[in-house]
Amino acid sequence: MESKTMQPTPVQMERENLRRVRFTRPALWVQLVLLACLIAGPLVVPSFRAMDVMTKVMIFAVVAASYDLILGYTGILSLAHVTFFGIGAYSMALVVFHSGQAAWYHIPVAMALAVGISGVLAVALAFFSLRVKAIFFTMMSLALAEFVFILGDQWHDLTMGEDGVSFSLPGIFSVNWSDGTFLGATLNGRLMTYYFILAASVLLFIGLVRFVRSPVGRVLKSVRDNEQRSTALGYKTFHYKVLSNVFGSVVASLAGVLFAMWLGYVNPTSVLGIPVMLNILLMVIIGGMGTLYGSIMGAAFIQVAEAWLPDLQKLTAWLLPHVEVAQRLAERWILYFGILFILVVIFFPKGLVGTARDVIARRKLRLAQRDHQPGL
Amino acid sequence: MTTQTATAGLQEQGGTDFKKVAVWIASVGIWFLPLLWIDPTTYAVLTVAGLAMGMLIFLTASGLTLIFGLMDVLNLAHGAFFVWGAYVGFSLLGALQKVGWVEGAGAAQSISSVLLCLLAALVVGGLMGIVLEKMLVRLTYGSHLKQILITMGASLILVEILKVVWSPNDEVVIVPAAFQGSWDIMDVIITKFRVVAIVVGLAVLGGIQLVMMRTKLGIIVRAGVENKEVVETLGYNIRRVFTGVFCAGAALAAVGGTMWSIFKEQIHPAMGEENLIFALIVVIIGGMGSVTGSFLGAIMVGLAFNYVAYTMPPLALGANIMIMAVILLIRPTGLMGKE
Repeated sequence: MESKTMQPTPVQMERENLRRVRFTRPALWVQLVLLACLIAGPLVVPSFRAMDVMTKVMIFAVVAASYDLILGYTGILSLAHVTFFGIGAYSMALVVFHSGQAAWYHIPVAMALAVGISGVLAVALAFFSLRVKAIFFTMMSLALAEFVFILGDQWHDLTMGEDGVSFSLPGIFSVNWSDGTFLGATLNGRLMTYYFILAASVLLFIGLVRFVRSPVGRVLKSVRDNEQRSTALGYKTFHYKVLSNVFGSVVASLAGVLFAMWLGYVNPTSVLGIPVMLNILLMVIIGGMGTLYGSIMGAAFIQVAEAWLPDLQKLTAWLLPHVEVAQRLAERWILYFGILFILVVIFFPKGLVGTARDVIARRKLRLAQRDHQPGL
Repeated sequence: MTTQTATAGLQEQGGTDFKKVAVWIASVGIWFLPLLWIDPTTYAVLTVAGLAMGMLIFLTASGLTLIFGLMDVLNLAHGAFFVWGAYVGFSLLGALQKVGWVEGAGAAQSISSVLLCLLAALVVGGLMGIVLEKMLVRLTYGSHLKQILITMGASLILVEILKVVWSPNDEVVIVPAAFQGSWDIMDVIITKFRVVAIVVGLAVLGGIQLVMMRTKLGIIVRAGVENKEVVETLGYNIRRVFTGVFCAGAALAAVGGTMWSIFKEQIHPAMGEENLIFALIVVIIGGMGSVTGSFLGAIMVGLAFNYVAYTMPPLALGANIMIMAVILLIRPTGLMGKE
């Protein structure tokens, strides 16, 4: 009777614990250093290529993290994530393109459009396919992804087909905008877009982290680990799965808006194609499913690899000028991604961050045991 | 009491029978609907095309559905077997062309060159299936997620190797002389190879049904779909059956690829992925694990694709997805799926 009011629940205990170590966790410092690097990056290294890679890492980290919410935290394998990403990118591009002159309000309109369309589509997809079996979802999502790709490719009046859409951004984000220098770097549209994307992707990422740590996130993890038991505990697991799927898809579409802003150009292959989907999947797998932060590492790995793989091709051409097979093999970098994919799935199913967390946890356990032994 | 239960059971039996008949009638009857806006001659041409396409999709889908039903593996590498089959057939036709068995060949030579291609695809696909099953899929039984990821990775690798061996561009397939051209029956133009495709599809369906229903192997496979543990308890090596079914499925997909390449008269590396989409839709419509279901589904998808592609080309795949959605709403387990 007396302990009933005093005893904190396990959830409360864990929260209390997290709150206590809030400022002493090493992870926090890693995050802050990463953020500082991203902020200072374009000012320190004024190379466009580096900035391009950093921006893509930020955007794809958000996409991969939102995918991780669906795959790693809910246990659903969707192959339509790229579709939502592409819907976001195309909303941005088409809103500006079809209204002729770019205006600042186009960005919020595009975002609203992206959220609306992808939200409705995600609900429909989940409603049709999650009722039966998780594996149906994979198949249905693949079919949907292919369908939207074909639409993007062939609905020429709306999407300009496979030629893609190029557009310019409004105001200070425009490539033509320039206004003196600041801390030695030229203030131009590119830099402004970079910081806008940085701010937006940090916000989206924090949103995802908060979502996963929320009570809803806890239920999602329980659904993933043991669906029957969560049902038995009275949770409507279907609703939770739909919710996480919709949330992840909406975040991906917002990241798509950012991606379109950065490139100023979209076409079906770059934002709707299955290869992009495989990249996202690979990012999550390399980083570690169910870790969120792993997606940053995965995105960084893939983007850096993609940016510098053409150099590898040139190197091969230079080293083995007359061996045609070697050059053909060097061209096919997806082949290496595929091999890497299988190796990671077999040998490191937890990915970089997951494995690292395991190692740290084991060391902590060993330390704790050693500390405990003299007292025995 | 006993009689009551018996009658209830009987009625239930009758109910399911009626349901099945209704499913069949509805799924056959709906295909006369396009006659409302397509004139009969075009309708006949489209129907033959649709049937041929359905038969070819069935070749891929039957393996996929068997592998899923027996092994509980969603094999996303199935498209890779398909495209490898297509390229093997294409190369062999190229080689036979030099001997003069393809263009300007007689009927016997044409038929034997097509048969040789199918045989080559069968062997290559089967071998690839065995290797893939023994090397990779075996590691992941029991985890859907890992299976999907691993087969997807394998598919990537296989298609990329294919691009290295052949080329990443489109290629034109030479059709053996006897199968070129078409027949004209009362203004209905029927391409010859479409008829071949229909015949081959029916033969494969018959073959699968014969093996599944009349042989001991078929009994073991069907029992394995129902309950793997019991089959193992009875002393059969279920792992070997798994490898066999995976191999057969891969071989069928490769044969499908060869047929498809002659059917379309051109090939490109992404065709496996495109066909996999159709096969997945078919497997979902038909119910996973059911060969008859996927046959029915394949015919539906082939017909619907052709009717819609005639009126609104970009929406053809969309129509198939719509059919799938509607069927899943009415019967979440597919037409012939287990309840």
